[in-house]
Amino acid sequence: MTRADKVLIAAVLLCALLGLLTIYRHFFISSDQPFPKQATITVDGKVLRTIDLDPVAGNEMIQITGRLGPATVEVAGGRIRMREANCPEQICVKQGWIQAPGSTIVCLPGEIIIHIEGPAPVDAVTR
Amino acid sequence: MTRRGQILLIIGLGLLVVGVTVFLSERRIKEYRSEQFLMDTLVSIKVYGDDAATLPAAVAAAYGEMHRIAALVDRFPAAGTEDCRRSDVCRINEMAGIGPVRVDADTLAMLLLAKKYHDLSDGAFDVTIGPVMDLWDFAGDHPKVPASQSIVDTLPLVDIESLVVNAVESSVYLRKVGMKLDLGALAKGYATEKALQALVRQGIKKALIDAGGNIRVLGSNARNAPWRIGIKDPRKADALVAIVALEDAAAVTSGDYYRYFEAGGKRYHHILDPRSGYPASENMSMTVLCPDAGLADLLSTAFFVMKVEEALPLAERLGVNLVMVNAEGRIFHTSGLAAHLEVLPGGAYRYDPR
Repeated sequence: MTRADKVLIAAVLLCALLGLLTIYRHFFISSDQPFPKQATITVDGKVLRTIDLDPVAGNEMIQITGRLGPATVEVAGGRIRMREANCPEQICVKQGWIQAPGSTIVCLPGEIIIHIEGPAPVDAVTR
Repeated sequence: MTRRGQILLIIGLGLLVVGVTVFLSERRIKEYRSEQFLMDTLVSIKVYGDDAATLPAAVAAAYGEMHRIAALVDRFPAAGTEDCRRSDVCRINEMAGIGPVRVDADTLAMLLLAKKYHDLSDGAFDVTIGPVMDLWDFAGDHPKVPASQSIVDTLPLVDIESLVVNAVESSVYLRKVGMKLDLGALAKGYATEKALQALVRQGIKKALIDAGGNIRVLGSNARNAPWRIGIKDPRKADALVAIVALEDAAAVTSGDYYRYFEAGGKRYHHILDPRSGYPASENMSMTVLCPDAGLADLLSTAFFVMKVEEALPLAERLGVNLVMVNAEGRIFHTSGLAAHLEVLPGGAYRYDPR
């Protein structure tokens, strides 16, 4: 093998590596999802907390304050729910537990959003 | 060609390939999303385009349209306030039995739509439901079952024939004192459609508007495939009954599970049959799919109060699609949807594909 052959092989390998890196960046980095599953609690447009939804962790009660006063978010067994909220219709409390990526609990009067991050099986849900 | 030349050529080609790949990946479509509390719900707008800088302005224009429509149809500002003067519905209701009121072109369009589909649905849809809605107080903090006599006494005020819409003069008049418009069953969808039109005017070609579950999509999704829209399970939180593939169309659902209260072990939800004054009991969930979000919103309410044997033929006749779960837990849909609908297994509902 001549010196030129070695240079040729190195150059081809380098180009292939760069190509692979680009392809990896293109297809994988942007869709990389945090693990374990995470939920965010947003109040009045600001993310208050991000919680790991660890399926084996014990119950956790999170006290937050929405526009209408205190609310309690419960996390247990990889699921999350609005346990108590100071709002008239209690729609968010009645909704119960959510656990699927893309699921959302909204308390309208309290302006509280609980959202489970991750690739949802659908783009949106009509309800 | 010398060996050195060949090497340079190969290196050059390699760099070219890498360069083009990087360039294409950088040109990947950009996403911008924003959420606002609006029209008693959470509205989320997602738009896609090549030029990230233009996306926020387009979304702002869309929200602007929604705020404008919301102000026009707001029915609860106190009489005489600035909010009431800005609301066509508030002024029309104030002037019931007194005289006509000049209204915005969009209010006129909504009321003409409402009258048309009242007739086509045999009265299953009526925007003059306001006085009976108020008896139930669904909009208030303590909804309750009204005395049956008060419903009987109030039903004569639910009378769309006494809603006079004059398109030439852009004026609207409720003939009877005490009549009240309530555009809650179509305003959100109509506003969603106006928001989408604003996005189109701003050059947007791909978007998804989710107005509290009223969905309107523009074009295909970011992967250039039809948008996948889930239809909520009417009884189980977090679950879907079906997934529908949607492009350039709206999907709006009316359900008995969203706004309701329980009294004496019975569930009372907020979609009233305008002919009886009581919550409609035929269905758990009614999803309408058609190109216009305003019409989808209106028809989801109209079909919701109808039996399956009335709703399905009417949908076919009007050229719109529907997916419904009736009160017995059976799933039905229009025939045109078969190729675009995936009914999910494992639910508590019965589905016999035909």
